[in-house]
Amino acid sequence: MNNKSVLKRITGSREFLLAVIVIAMFVVVSIFNPAFFSFKSVMDMMKNNAVMMVMALGMLCVMLVGGIDISITSTLALAGMAIGMLLKYGYIHNTFLVFVIAILIGLACGMVVGLVISRAGVPPIIATMGFMYIYRAMAYLISHGGEWASAAALGSFKDFATLKVLGLSPVIWIIIVCYVFFFIFMKWFRTGRKIYAVGSNPEAAEVSGINVKNIKLMVHAIMGLLAGLAGAIQVSVYASAMPDMQQGGEMDVIAACVIGGVSMSGGRGSVIGVLFGSLIMAMIPRALPLLRIDALWQNMIKGVLILIVVVVNVILQRIADRNALKKREA
Amino acid sequence: MAGKSGRTISNVPESPVKRTIMSWEGILVLVLILVNIFCACFSEFYNIGSLLNQMPIYLAEVFLMLPMAFILVLGEIDISVGSITCLCATTACLVCNTGAPFPVVILASLGVGAVCGMVNGFILTRFTELPPMIVTLATQIIYRGIAEIVLGSGGSISANNTDGFKALGKKLVIGGELNERGRLVGGIGIPYILFLVVILAVIFAIVLGKSTFGRRVYAIGTNRTCALYSGIHVQKIRFIIYTVMGLMAGLCSLFLVSSSYGANTTTGTGFEMDAIAMAVFGGISSTGGKGNLAGGIISAFVILCLRVGLGQRNVHAQVILLILGALLIAAVALPNIIGQLGRALKKK
Repeated sequence: MNNKSVLKRITGSREFLLAVIVIAMFVVVSIFNPAFFSFKSVMDMMKNNAVMMVMALGMLCVMLVGGIDISITSTLALAGMAIGMLLKYGYIHNTFLVFVIAILIGLACGMVVGLVISRAGVPPIIATMGFMYIYRAMAYLISHGGEWASAAALGSFKDFATLKVLGLSPVIWIIIVCYVFFFIFMKWFRTGRKIYAVGSNPEAAEVSGINVKNIKLMVHAIMGLLAGLAGAIQVSVYASAMPDMQQGGEMDVIAACVIGGVSMSGGRGSVIGVLFGSLIMAMIPRALPLLRIDALWQNMIKGVLILIVVVVNVILQRIADRNALKKREA
Repeated sequence: MAGKSGRTISNVPESPVKRTIMSWEGILVLVLILVNIFCACFSEFYNIGSLLNQMPIYLAEVFLMLPMAFILVLGEIDISVGSITCLCATTACLVCNTGAPFPVVILASLGVGAVCGMVNGFILTRFTELPPMIVTLATQIIYRGIAEIVLGSGGSISANNTDGFKALGKKLVIGGELNERGRLVGGIGIPYILFLVVILAVIFAIVLGKSTFGRRVYAIGTNRTCALYSGIHVQKIRFIIYTVMGLMAGLCSLFLVSSSYGANTTTGTGFEMDAIAMAVFGGISSTGGKGNLAGGIISAFVILCLRVGLGQRNVHAQVILLILGALLIAAVALPNIIGQLGRALKKK
C-alpha cells in the first residue's frame, strides 16, 4: 500500500473521480452556454446552495458514525424563524448577535436529538423523524401560525448576503471557513479521528477507551450547530423567513453526501468528497436551464444521478474485491 | 416493554391475561381508549358518526402501514412510497380522463404502483450491498420527478369522470338514509374503505404472524446471514415485499383520488413518514425482527382518532404533528429508559 506513488494514490481515489465529474460537467455546460463560465455565476451558484453545502458537513459527521439525521431542515426552520421573528419585532438589530442566537438554537436542538439517540437508545431514523415533526411545528408556533418575516422586517440583516468582504460575499466566506475547518478537524484533530473510529467499528472504539455515546452526542450537536448557522444563512440569502422553508431539503443534503462517497453504514467518507458531492448537487439546477432542459426534469435527473453513483460504486467495489481475492490466490 | 411484543421466549410462562394486558398492544389499547375519552371531552362534535365521517382521508395511509410493517420487520425502510402514491394518483387521473372504464383505471393505478415497487425490489436484490434508505431516497426523487414531468407546468390534474371514484368513497348506511345532496340523515354511514382496511389488516396480520412466509420475514430481520444459510430465499422475499408495498401505494392513491378527485405534485408528501410512525408507535422496531401487526393497527387508529378529534377543534395540523412526534419518540425511548433504570437498580 505504501509503495504506491503519490500520483497513483490520488488518481485512484474516489475524490479524484468526483473531481473529474465536476470538471467535466463544468466544461460541458460552459461549452453549451458560455454564460455559465464566469466567476459571478459560480459564486451565485455557491451562494444559492450555501445552506445545503454547510449542512452536508454536519451530515458527513452524523453518517460517519452510522447515523442519519432527517430533522435538520426543521432545525433550520426553527432557528431561522426565531431570528426572523426577533428581527421583525425589533428585539435585536445586530447581525453578529443574530448569528449567535441562530447557532445557539441549532446547537440546543442538536443536543436534544443527540441525547435521545445516544442516551435513550432510539434508532437515529426514528428519533430524527420525531424531531422533524416537533421542530417544524415549533417553527410554526413561534411564527404565530404561519406569519412571515419579509425583507422589510429584517432590517439591516438582509444586507449581509449582498455585502462584499475581500471581493467575496460573506456567505461564500462562511462556506470556505467551514470546509477548511472541517478538513483540518476531520484529518488531524483527535476528536475528528474518534468519529471515524466509532463509525468503522463501535465495539473496538469502545474497548480502546472512546466514549461512543459522547461521540454520538457530539456529532448531532455539530449537526444542529451547522443547521442553526444554515438557518441564519437561509434567512439572509433569501431575505425572508417562513416556517416551511427548506421543507424536504434534508434529502438533498443526504444525497450530496451519498454522491460524495459517504457510506450509510459509517466509517467511510471525506470532507473533499462531500465538497464535490454538494457541488454536483448544486450544479444540476443551475445547469439545466442553461442546457435548455425544462426545469421539470430536474428532480428526475437528480434521482437518476444518485442511483447511478451508488450502483457504480457497488460495481467498482465488487471488482476491487474480486481483484484482491485473485491476488491472494496467485 | 417493547421487548414483550417481540418474539422473545421467556423461561417462565406467564398467565395469558397478565401477558395480554402488560404487552405493548395492551398498553396501546389503553392509550386508544384514553385518546377517545380525551377527544370526546375536547370536542363536542366528537362521536362515532363524525369519526366515521372524517375517517376516510386518514384511513388511506393505513394501507401503506401494512406492508411497511413487513419492511420494518426485515430491518429495512422504504421512503419512496409517498412518491409512488403521487405517481399512481397521477396515472389514475390520466387514465380516467382518456375515458377508460373504471376497472381499467384501478388496474392502471395498481399496475404502476406494483412496477414502481418492483423497480425498488429489483435494485435492492441485485445490489444487496446498497442500503434501502439510499435506494428508496433516489427512487423517491425519481418517481415524484416522473409525476412532475407528466403533470407539466401546471403541476396538477383533475379527474373529469368522477363517478367511479365517487363509488369508491361511498358509505354503507345503517339505520338512516342519504338525502338528495348525499348528506346522511340519521343512522351511521360506514365508509367502504373501512371494510377494506379491516379485511386487508386481518390478511396481512395473519400472513406476518401465522404463516411460514411471515416467520421467514422475522428470521431475515433477526439474522439475515443465518436465514440465508437455513435455506430461506432472502432476496425473493424482499422482492415480493417491496412489490406489495408499491401495490398498496397504488391502492392508497385510488382512495386519495376518491376524496380529492385530482392529483398534484405534492400528493402523498410525507406519507412514508406517517406510515413508518404508525408502525413504530405500534411497537414494530425499525432495527428489524420485532413487533407485530396488531400493535401497528391499534396505533394507526390511535393516531387517526387523535387527528380527527384535534382537527375538529381547528387545532393546527402542525400541532398535531408535534404531538405525534413526541409520542413516537416517547414510545421508543421510554421502554429503553425504564430498562436501563431497571438494570441499574438490579446492579445495586
